[in-house]
Formats: sequence, C-alpha cells, structure tokens
Amino acid sequence: MTKNMIETVKIKSIIEECDGVKTFAFERNSTVIPKPGQFVMIWVPGVDEIPMSISSYNENGEWAITIKKAGDCTNSIHKLKVGDYIGVRGPLGNFFQVPQEKKKNTFLIGGGIGMAPLRFLASELIKMGYNFKVIEGAKVKNEVLFVNEFLEYQKENLEFHFCTDDGSYGEKGFAPEFFEHLIENFTKKDLKDSVVFTCGPEIMLHKILQICIEKEVEMYASLERIMRCGCGLCGLCVLDPLGLLVCNDGPVFNSHMLAEIEDFGKFKRDFSGKKTSI
Amino acid sequence: MLERNISELKLKSPLILASGILGVSYSTMKRLVDVGIGAVTTKSIGPKPRKGYKNPSIIEVNQGTFLNSVGLGNPGIDNFITEIKEIKKFKFPLIVSVFGNSIESYLEVALKAEQAGADAIEINISCPHAEVSSIGIDKQLTFSIVKSMKKELNAPLFVKLNPNVTNIGEIALAAQNGGADAVVAINTLAAMVVDINTKRPILSHGSGGLSGKAIHSIAVKKVYDLYKILEIPIIGCGGASNWQDVIEFILVGASAVQIGTVLYQGFDIITDIINGLKKYLKDNDYSSISELKGLAHEFKTQEVPDFD
Repeated sequence: MTKNMIETVKIKSIIEECDGVKTFAFERNSTVIPKPGQFVMIWVPGVDEIPMSISSYNENGEWAITIKKAGDCTNSIHKLKVGDYIGVRGPLGNFFQVPQEKKKNTFLIGGGIGMAPLRFLASELIKMGYNFKVIEGAKVKNEVLFVNEFLEYQKENLEFHFCTDDGSYGEKGFAPEFFEHLIENFTKKDLKDSVVFTCGPEIMLHKILQICIEKEVEMYASLERIMRCGCGLCGLCVLDPLGLLVCNDGPVFNSHMLAEIEDFGKFKRDFSGKKTSI
Repeated sequence: MLERNISELKLKSPLILASGILGVSYSTMKRLVDVGIGAVTTKSIGPKPRKGYKNPSIIEVNQGTFLNSVGLGNPGIDNFITEIKEIKKFKFPLIVSVFGNSIESYLEVALKAEQAGADAIEINISCPHAEVSSIGIDKQLTFSIVKSMKKELNAPLFVKLNPNVTNIGEIALAAQNGGADAVVAINTLAAMVVDINTKRPILSHGSGGLSGKAIHSIAVKKVYDLYKILEIPIIGCGGASNWQDVIEFILVGASAVQIGTVLYQGFDIITDIINGLKKYLKDNDYSSISELKGLAHEFKTQEVPDFD
C-alpha cells in the first residue's frame, strides 16, 4: 500500500462538533504517521473524492478528519454512519514546520473549518511542550469549533481567543484584526521571536500575510485547491506564476512564497482547469 | 549532447512532457522546462470547457502505476489561448494536444491553437475512457482526420496512438499515409480496479487508462514494432520512470521520450533523468544521444523456437 493508493476503512466514531460540522475517526492498516498540516483524499463510495485536512492522530493509530457540510460530497459524508466505509489516500503534502528553537510567541490563527489542521497542530505542540496562543474566528456562536477541547487545554496556561463576526461568542470582529491587536505593542525583538500558523478562508490568510510582512513575522499558511490526484499529476492545484502545486509543494507555504504567488487570495482553478476568482 | 530535433521542433533534451500530466498552467510547464524538459505537451484541449469525470479519477494501483479516468476535462480552447500566449513568452517548444467530436471540431481547436502560437499539434484519438478512442481504433478514420488536418495546418502534426487495438501498426501506417509528422506511442491501456470491501469499481467512471511503471515494457515492444515499419519519427511514451527507461525507448527506435506519470515523485526526477542520460553517454563514449537510436534492432532475435 502506497500513500497514493485508496485504502477503504470503516468509520469508527462520529462526533458532532457544531452545526454542520462532524469529526469522523478511523483506523488504518497503513502504519504511516501523519504530521499536522498534511491532508488525505477522502473517497465517499459512489459520490466523489475530495482533499481533507487531518484534524487529529493519536498513538493508537486513530486518524480523524473534521468536515463541514459545504457541497454534494461533504453532505454525503455527513449522512454516513459508524461502520460505513470511506476510502483514504495519504498522508499527502507537506506539513507545518515547527521551528527547532522554541519561539516565544507562537500563534495559531484559524477561520471556520480552517481550525481542523490547527487542532492537530495544537495537540502536537502540547506534546512538544510548546506554549502557544490560539485565535479562532467564526461567523457565529454555533460555528465555533473545538471550544470544550481548547478550554481543557487552557488549564495548561495556553491562551485561547475566540472571535465571531457578530460578537455572539468571544470578541466581536475578525481573526486578523484581533491578531494585529495582540501584537501591536510588540517590540522588534518580540516580533522576531514570533511565528504564525494559519488556515482558513483565503481572504483571511491574505490579510494575515499583509500584517506579517509589515511586522516581519514568520508565517505559514495552509491553502486549499481543487484536486483530482493529490499527488502532482493533474495540475489543477497550481499556483501562478511560480507553478507550485498545493498537493506536493504545499499545502503549507511560508510568507516569502505566499508574497510571490499572484493567485493567492485571488484565483483558483475549477475542475476543468479554468481559472476562476476565489 | 541531449539535443534532439523532431520535425521542425528543436529540443534541448529528448524529454517531452506527456499530455494529460500538469499541462494546465503555463507556470508548471515553465517549471518543467527549467529542470530539463525539452518540450511540453498540454492537457488535451477541446472545443469547449469540460469538467470530465468526477473523482476518484486518478489513483495509484501499484507502486509507480496509476489508473485515471479524467474524461478529457479541460478549460476549452478559447480559455486556453491565454495560457498558450503566456507559454510562448518563454520560447520553448509547445505541443498542444487537441481533441474534438468531429474532424471539423478537431480542426477548429488545432487552428486556434496554432494561431495562438503552438509549435506542433498532437491529436488525441486514443484516450481509452472517452469517445475519441473510436477514431484511434479505425485506420480509415485515422487516415481521414490526419489528411484533413494536414491540409489546413502549417504546424507539424503528431498522432498519439491507442494501444487498445489488435494491430497498432496499421493505424500508425494510416497516420503516416495521411501525412502525420510523427506518432506518439502509446496512450494508456484500458484497465480497472475494484475495491474488495465496498465491492465496487473505484474510479467514478468504472474503468480508465493505466499508465506508469506497469506499462513501460508494453510501450517498448510497441515502439520496437513500429520502428520496423514507419518512416516518420516515433515519440516513445509509457511508464518512463528513470534514465534507463529513456535509453531503452531510444534503443528500440524512439526519437524522443514523453514523461508523465513519474512526475508524482516531483520535479527533481527530471534533473535526475537528465544527469543519468549525460553520464551514460559519457561513460559509453557517445557524443550525442541520437547515436543510440534504434541500436536494439541490430541484434538478430530468435524467430523459430528450438526443438528437441
């Protein structure tokens, strides 16, 4: 079994995280260990196959993906029950590179379902003894993800900030603004000793990039594109003008690369390969 | 050392990007040329945008062997013209793969591609999981489409051959008689995989075309056979995964070699192949890769088995 071959596995458990979001756990025969930021191609037999971030992995070999209802395929996944089969390929792509030397200020900034890979990253950082701050943005209160789990972590002196577009939970406002507010009094040294890991709507990632460039903060963002293969063949996940592929070169890109990608925050390819606005 | 000329195309290396792999954006094609590819072939482009088959449409079935049923998904020639113009800024040989649903629509797409700057046209009459394969299995239809297109086009015309036929030689000869400038051998082989847990075919389309490692030796045999009967150049295609496979294709008579499926390993594989080719030529005292062309044919093979 290679990482690009489909392995069908039974869904072991399903957790309803919030309105329209469920986490599906499964075990694999494949003994490969995924890293935070990597993704899998999930096949819903008879429906479709789509890329999904891995939202957790534990020592017992249990993998999980957290999926928001957003289209035909994700709607179908939500109808599946424990014991039903799904197909899995992966882990695919690169991962969040955690600096060898611990940074004083590590920020995890997620928007909506973009919290999924950051949740996996958070659990790994805790294992590594890292201190970090999470900023989670959501539209409304009932779309805020992993709250109970994060509040549990809070006991370990980690900071969690929630913000919603309408102020129905946490602060009122958007994650990038909140991040900007948190670092506004940082000295040059503080900024140099900071790193940002982010995932979410590309418009949000783009705003965070602007802030990180201006403040000279190291940043890594996980991007999403339509894919057929997930392994460098179909070319649909290309990023112009560098010719980078989200599947093989990404999905995680650093701020230097993002600044050079003209498609970032603006264009993606549809299933025919045609360039369309994000 | 590695330079090759195919028809009017001047290639800095014998490696050509195969159609259907990464040929969507100018930027990935440029990246391939930067690492050593001599020419690129685009994804097959048709008269209008087409999404193709749903996923799963590209999966690995054994290490290095893939099965796909993309179903000719493409943005359509009118959208793709922008991409062709971008590519032409970089001055490397561009082959546009085209398909249509009639001789007229093939021609319409090819003429638009040529006008936008295509250096050669490859006609896809052989995709095993799409309707166009019906042309590639019929020598008369192959002859007609090639002849009609050659009459209107100035750019060299390459014909990609369907291996899912009883006699690939007669189709290749039909293409040559119609005026084709080269043939590309071979397209993918019709195949399927079934998942034993869900008991259903995995690809959304059911079956697809097999590419990569498993088909390389089949492709080598086809090129070997075609070299004996054709006068026009043969571009080898099928599972070339390392420099040894490229040499093998050239020894059986290929003038150039298309690279596709192995790119799942990343762009660096091209650099490895180029370095391997150069080292082989140097170690064996050849000054040009063209000296190797067809050498495997100099050996007599046993035609009649031994009997007691």
